[in-house]
Amino acid sequence: MTPRTHVALLATLMSATAWGQEVSLYGTTMAQMWKQEIPGFDKSTFTPATQYLGIDATKLGRDNLSLHLFGWGRTDLSDPSTFDGSKSGGYLNYGYLRYRFDQANAEIKAGRFTVQQSTGFEQVDGVSARTDLRGGFTVSAFAGKPVLYKTVDPAAQKDYDFQRDFIVGTRIGLRLPRFGEIGLSYLQDGTKAAKDLTIPSPVDYTRKQVGADILIAPAPSFNFRGRTVFDLASRPDGVSGASRIAEHDYTATVKLGGRFVLSGNVAERNFFAYFAGTNLPSLFRQDEKDKFQGYGTSLTWNASDSLQVVGDYRHMRRETFGDVNRIGGEIRWTSREKKYQAGFGARSVSATRTLLVDPAAPGRSLSHTEVRAWSMVSRGKFMASLDGILQRYEKDNPYLAGLQDVYEMVGSLGYQATTNVKVSGDLSYGSTPVSKNEIRGLLRAEYRFGFARKGGR
Amino acid sequence: MARKTVLQILGVALGLGFLMACSLVSPETSFAPTHPQELGAGRPLCSECHSNDTAKGALKPYAAFDHTPAFVKNHKSQANQDANSCASCHAQSFCVDCHGGKVPMKPSIRFGDRPDRDMPHRGDYLTLHRMEGKMDPSSCYTCHGRANNDKCRACHR
Repeated sequence: MTPRTHVALLATLMSATAWGQEVSLYGTTMAQMWKQEIPGFDKSTFTPATQYLGIDATKLGRDNLSLHLFGWGRTDLSDPSTFDGSKSGGYLNYGYLRYRFDQANAEIKAGRFTVQQSTGFEQVDGVSARTDLRGGFTVSAFAGKPVLYKTVDPAAQKDYDFQRDFIVGTRIGLRLPRFGEIGLSYLQDGTKAAKDLTIPSPVDYTRKQVGADILIAPAPSFNFRGRTVFDLASRPDGVSGASRIAEHDYTATVKLGGRFVLSGNVAERNFFAYFAGTNLPSLFRQDEKDKFQGYGTSLTWNASDSLQVVGDYRHMRRETFGDVNRIGGEIRWTSREKKYQAGFGARSVSATRTLLVDPAAPGRSLSHTEVRAWSMVSRGKFMASLDGILQRYEKDNPYLAGLQDVYEMVGSLGYQATTNVKVSGDLSYGSTPVSKNEIRGLLRAEYRFGFARKGGR
Repeated sequence: MARKTVLQILGVALGLGFLMACSLVSPETSFAPTHPQELGAGRPLCSECHSNDTAKGALKPYAAFDHTPAFVKNHKSQANQDANSCASCHAQSFCVDCHGGKVPMKPSIRFGDRPDRDMPHRGDYLTLHRMEGKMDPSSCYTCHGRANNDKCRACHR
């Protein structure tokens, strides 16, 4: 959509809110400031001001019709803070009309919305509908145009031409009480093959995927869920050996007594099939025919109503790079009145069997340890928080410009002026390979007017 | 004339199909569009109140929606199967906090005053992504494979 269409759409949607009998408006106004000094570059000062705005208007003439809008706008008061050099920008994250029927949990949406289907997680300008059917069946479908993004330089970016003009998807599910749910979905993206595009490509970036998902939850203490997605798109001559399975991803969760939750996950993704449809093929490369496999487990111990302890482990294997092990844990404490909260977590990543990252020191490039600690307190109308994160890498890591420790501290103070208005300010200090000392300031005003949803956000 | 007949047949077929589809629609009343009670701060465990119930509409135990740490980290299956159940408590703006498509800043900066929330890319992720991306680029793909990739393009051309 052109900027003019955006403005017209936004004006139309916002004027429609006047018909709403219950209108909620919420927003955040933010002002940031930071200075940057990078060797070899000019000193820069950044002061972007950002406005987020959301509107939920229900009962638009009829009880079941509602409008939902959310977007943001930004302007740089000094140097441009974006890679493309622009000093202002904005975006409509979603804006749709929804009609929710009183029967069968049926609904229709029209406008810009987000859908998740097969490997697709898409913003679509179009229409979607869903309903429950007799016998536990459900059906949903959507169709429209995938939302395009302005790129750094669209004219010079050939990848941009692979973004397709049409997307459609559907899913049929069967829900069985005391068993769970099984579903079958289809996603197609693009109406013509890559060879027919203005810039022909030997790789077909059209997505045609069939997904099968399952949930088995016979009792509250156990559930098993996941999905397998197959790639059905035609492939160019000469492509052989690349798996048609885009993804397996399955998780089982068991509750042991009232205090422990044990969870295990296994996943496999074949990149040729999984990355089909990307509009950034220079990064998400199908031609590598690479594969990722991972498995892991996590154990949560709810030691008391206030204290939670989590331990987790994950093994990851990428065919072209090798094996990585990650082990970590987190402790989270919350006071009974939830006025105080604190957390501490640590993760260690061992990549001593990783290949080709840095042939001179194969174990060093990826191995690192991360530690994070945070706390929050609220007293009356005042609130404060402190958050620190430290990442320690192996010595002489070639990516780190001589650094070994990278860290960031964020302190925040807030004042809840009224139930619907809060102001706060953050100050952060950190060290990175780009900016050895970095200080950032941020002021934030949050407000909400109108009829708030009962269920919270 | 023949064209008119074809259109008439198509119209009748579509009408009959529509009526058949309507007869297949569940007669059940839709569940409440919003949770009837205000929920407290923090991650809710649905099964604390709905101990042995089956969620209306979703037809599965409420415990399947308990917001355990594993659920918070990996909720794509639930979002795929039960998006309208999620919507009874979460406005879509909650999803957009992380899955915005195109955003002006990292979620962890926008919510710098909420360290209790799980946010992607805390700290200096620009450095870390070189490693995470090599270990598992498919984890990047969900958000950056088709969208939100302006910044990716600055280097990955």
